[in-house]
Amino acid sequence: MQAAIETKALTKRYGTRPIIRDLTFAVHPGEVYALVGPNGAGKTTVIRLVSGLAFPSSGTVRMLGQDPHETPSVRRRLGAVVEAPAAFYPYLTGRSNLLLHARLAGGVATSRVREVLDQVELGHAADRKVGVYSLGMRQRLGVAAALLTRPEVLILDEPASGMDPLSLHLVHRVLRDAAASGTAVLLSTHHLDEVVAYCSHVGILEEGVLIDEVDLRDRGARVRVLVDDVQNARLTLAAQPWVREVFVRGRDVVFTLEKPAAIDRVAGCLATAGVALRELGDDSFDLRSYYRERVEAQRARRTLDDEIPGASA
Amino acid sequence: MSALLRMEIGKLGRLASVRFGAVVLIVFPLLWAYAPGIFDVYGFFLVSGFQVPALALLSSMEFLLPLLIAITCAELIGMEINHGTLPTVLLRPVTRAQWLLAKLLVASAYPFLALAFFLLTSLAAGAFFGFGPFVGGTGLGRQGLLGAGTMMPVDAWREVVLAYLMAAYSLVPIGLLAVLFAVILMNAAGGALATLATLIVMQLLIVFPAVTPYLLTTQLSAYVQPASPLGWVVALIAVYCAAFAAAAVIVFERKDF
Repeated sequence: MQAAIETKALTKRYGTRPIIRDLTFAVHPGEVYALVGPNGAGKTTVIRLVSGLAFPSSGTVRMLGQDPHETPSVRRRLGAVVEAPAAFYPYLTGRSNLLLHARLAGGVATSRVREVLDQVELGHAADRKVGVYSLGMRQRLGVAAALLTRPEVLILDEPASGMDPLSLHLVHRVLRDAAASGTAVLLSTHHLDEVVAYCSHVGILEEGVLIDEVDLRDRGARVRVLVDDVQNARLTLAAQPWVREVFVRGRDVVFTLEKPAAIDRVAGCLATAGVALRELGDDSFDLRSYYRERVEAQRARRTLDDEIPGASA
Repeated sequence: MSALLRMEIGKLGRLASVRFGAVVLIVFPLLWAYAPGIFDVYGFFLVSGFQVPALALLSSMEFLLPLLIAITCAELIGMEINHGTLPTVLLRPVTRAQWLLAKLLVASAYPFLALAFFLLTSLAAGAFFGFGPFVGGTGLGRQGLLGAGTMMPVDAWREVVLAYLMAAYSLVPIGLLAVLFAVILMNAAGGALATLATLIVMQLLIVFPAVTPYLLTTQLSAYVQPASPLGWVVALIAVYCAAFAAAAVIVFERKDF
């Protein structure tokens, strides 16, 4: 399947200072890819490079197979919010702002404006000037503007910024629905806990480098067991054809099942090997801890390299 | 493109500088029409409503009108930056050149709109003196305010309207220069200031007589006293306009947002 968004060795420098280095990733139709990272990691720059607002110093960006700079018409298939909070003309109402977007996009029916306003639950405030909107309302209007053209690619910079929990839930639902209908979604966020609930992939950025990509799709089939003999349990489970990716984490053995139904076999298999099973359950992936570990490890590696060049290699 | 142009024209009326400029262009002719000390200072009396537009234009072309035009045209870009709406518009399937072209067209039209309004407010301010035949000149012809005998209204109308048209045309490159600087600096105030600084430097360059006929600032008096044949002046202003517009598009095409 062709990637909806694809970058290869994407690099951005301001002067001699690299902001993004050798970034390669892809987002396919139906996927929700979240870029996470500390402030200043380069998330917004990536969003702007991918959406065609900024020019790469080297490397390539493809949106639906085309360069957004060389083929601006590809933006007909793009919905994007690249400002946080989303930017609108404050002297116009929410509806007028969306009508203006519809005119610029071309071929958008007026009824679609009403539809997207209802989708983000702003129908009641549609005729108020955007200048009096709260931060969360502006963000929701931004999502509505992005959805206006039924895009194949959605790019959102901090879509959840300034939102209350209800609005947050609403926007997550809208994005999940968009992905379910085949839209490729790329977003940047700090909301790590929510990311796990609706994103398919997470890219961790640190100082302009993509230090890790996590595929969250098969996290649901991951199982954790607490046993008396960790190494024996690891070897036993690794030998089973219905188990993959076995590793030890502290006193736990964590593994992924080929099929969720195979969980019934775990206790019997370990008992046969003489391993006492104390606890068995889903391994809920803690993105927050994982993210912290990866960022701290990257920083430690960099500090070491600064002190002794090439030491971390 | 037409949707874009309509949108940009609609935005013009929202600009603070346009509203402020309108107030200035209403008040300024009134000062001339009702100034009690005009004879003491300049040695003449106003005798016709046609002379108020002349005095208003003569006294504002050197600084006030270039200032208003530069501020408004720089704000055409600056307002998008202030509202953060520039990236939002550029994410739609319009090219950067199309969007900037719409801005440049509005910037080119603005001096004509502003001076049409200025002419109306000046005529309204001078209505007290009437618009019949009068002894003297409009101040915008070769004979100045003193004239050469009786001036008929039809001749006065022609002189005033042509002078305002020429004045508006000579202000167009100033608006485009302000757009260029606003695009470079991504800031309205910076764009307007850079434009004014450029004009001030150009005014100083009259100490180099060889370049004087080519200076943009020299053409600002073409509405009353062209430094060169009128066709040449018109062509030179067009060259300035084309150069500033092209430079703005080139810079904007490679700008990161």
